[in-house]
Amino acid sequence: MKALGGAEAADSTHPPPRVYKPEMPRGWWLRQRHYFLYIIREFTALPMALWLLWLLYEIQRASNGPKGYYPPSSPAFIVFSIIVLAFALYHTYTFLSLAGVIIHIKGVPSRLIVLSQFAAWLVASAVIAAVLIGFAR
Amino acid sequence: MNHDGHVKNPRTAYTHLLWWFLFAQGGVIAAILVPIHVLVQGILGPLGIVRVVDRHYDTWIRIVGNPIVKLYLLVLIAVPFFHFAHRLRYLLVDLGVPAARSVPAQVIFYGGAVVITAVTIWVLLTTVPISFG
Repeated sequence: MKALGGAEAADSTHPPPRVYKPEMPRGWWLRQRHYFLYIIREFTALPMALWLLWLLYEIQRASNGPKGYYPPSSPAFIVFSIIVLAFALYHTYTFLSLAGVIIHIKGVPSRLIVLSQFAAWLVASAVIAAVLIGFAR
Repeated sequence: MNHDGHVKNPRTAYTHLLWWFLFAQGGVIAAILVPIHVLVQGILGPLGIVRVVDRHYDTWIRIVGNPIVKLYLLVLIAVPFFHFAHRLRYLLVDLGVPAARSVPAQVIFYGGAVVITAVTIWVLLTTVPISFG
């Protein structure tokens, strides 16, 4: 990886320092399953961002008044949400699994920490679902 | 730190701390809160499987008017963008756009998250008046 070898470094003429330029071939992330999953993990940000912007728009539309407000029901929106959900779940899985690497508590096995993160996720999801459904009519 | 390995000005990198904290918190919030909103409001509600609060104008404005809900929505919508900004910037770097490392790119991405935070605050304050009803 290093451009400057030992023999060249000893050269008395001092050639201009060569800079290591990492070059990734186009489509490098398609060559290995792990690379691909890494890129997918990073990409999950985009669909989630779009969905949250839609939620903000849905809140803003409440200012149209009772006659101007229509809840989303188009098949395209549902398909969009299904795709976003798949990416969001992948983000949840990868991010909460990381907790076992990041958080260190003496005497607590990392598997238990990861488990507690997933438990917190399930509890939060249940509470949010209860509010979203419970205050509906 | 200079090249000798000595710390020239030992001071806490507060800006670094702030952005890193927002990145981590945005990741946690997106991981724990987003999937259930997408499932309930984006799939189950529109399909008519369950009744959801945003399907009717009156129930929707009632919950969005609640100040605690407004605060929650601000956290839910705005904070993840500080996570997304970082991830998408480095996604571009990884996919062969080195310009995404530059200072202008940082201003665009993290500034974008700040703008979205401001817009979210504005929407939450102007759309439905705060009420405890």
